[in-house]
Amino acid sequence: MQTVPDRLVAFLPNLRRFAISLCRSRELADDLVQAACERAILAADSFIPGSRFDAWMFRILRNLWIDHLRRQKTAGPHDELEEARDVSVPSGEAASLARMDLREVSSALQKLPDEQREVLVLVCVEELSYRDTAEVLSIPIGTVMSRLARARKNLAELTGISFGEKRSFDTKGGVA
Amino acid sequence: MTEHDFDDETLMAFADGELDEATSVRLEAALAADEALAERLAVFFESRQLVADALKPLIDEPVPEALLQSVRRMAEEAKDGASAGSNVVPLRPKHRPVNRWTEHRWVLPLAASIVAVITGVVGFTVGRNLDPATMDSSAQIAAVLDREASGRDVALGTSGETLHVIATFRDKNGSLCREYELKQPSKSTLSIACRQDQTWVTQLALTSARAVGYVPASSQEMIDSYLSSIEAGAPMSLEEERGILVP
Repeated sequence: MQTVPDRLVAFLPNLRRFAISLCRSRELADDLVQAACERAILAADSFIPGSRFDAWMFRILRNLWIDHLRRQKTAGPHDELEEARDVSVPSGEAASLARMDLREVSSALQKLPDEQREVLVLVCVEELSYRDTAEVLSIPIGTVMSRLARARKNLAELTGISFGEKRSFDTKGGVA
Repeated sequence: MTEHDFDDETLMAFADGELDEATSVRLEAALAADEALAERLAVFFESRQLVADALKPLIDEPVPEALLQSVRRMAEEAKDGASAGSNVVPLRPKHRPVNRWTEHRWVLPLAASIVAVITGVVGFTVGRNLDPATMDSSAQIAAVLDREASGRDVALGTSGETLHVIATFRDKNGSLCREYELKQPSKSTLSIACRQDQTWVTQLALTSARAVGYVPASSQEMIDSYLSSIEAGAPMSLEEERGILVP
């Protein structure tokens, strides 16, 4: 059986992806990931073998993030969030139509309230079940579902992408 | 039967594969006859796909070297600590990169979880140049500090001494500093030297009787508090180091 420290290193890309989508800043995300790993090692005994390691880690990281937000609120305005930038599209890549869509989606994601963005990411990106998501966020499963449904309708509105129509990605393969 | 039988959350659960079997069957039957319902459902399928397309690729970004190394080190320390019992501390450096999270006491210091008790003589000199006894090798040491990347044992001449550079960082004045361990047959010395006008000046040196593989916790604490007193920056990645060291 792999121990918590063993699994941590392999899980870093996942953990970092989740952190980036929470904080919208790579620099913050990296610090957050490191802090979460430290805490996970200290709390390794509380991980129940056979349960989902990813959900356990996400929960640790997300709790640290919430602590951080709380502290910021009490400490007054902070400049860290101003570093936030478009996180989903690697820079320097040629824009294609498909990519513009993604850019649009990602900027819409940034506009969603934090609580809607995190359920979206846990379910649609990290592919956690509703139940696991509820556990990560310490909220009832009914709340997960109502937030998630609201998040998706908001996203549809914000992107203005007309759902229901078949979108074509033909333009993607235009390089001769 | 109309679409009103199915609320948004039910449609969403179907799209996410979370709807129970009986309701799914009922929904599928309704979908066949109800285009409006199918369009409402499509919102949930497509939004899932869009979010996934936008964010999943983040996983392909390389994890920054500094983060990777730091977590590897933590993981190794944790494992070493667990397998070696509770009374020793591994040799690997314990001072962590300057991190706004740890500064803000988000996490318990790792050191608190590992209690180290090792007997040994610890002497230290602050602000002196290299010990006269090792003067002969000081030129060799300086050459190693100029050139060698962190993390490797480098043999010094034929003396049986090895030098292991632990980390590279800058102090608050921007001077280049290196933390290294000089291992001699009977003792080992943990030092921090900073480059001033092309010369490596030892800032702190802690010598302890050689206990293979371990440094006393007290020296590590001393190093840690010294590092914070000079406001040492985060350890450089190997890549950053390469840009600075003499080729």
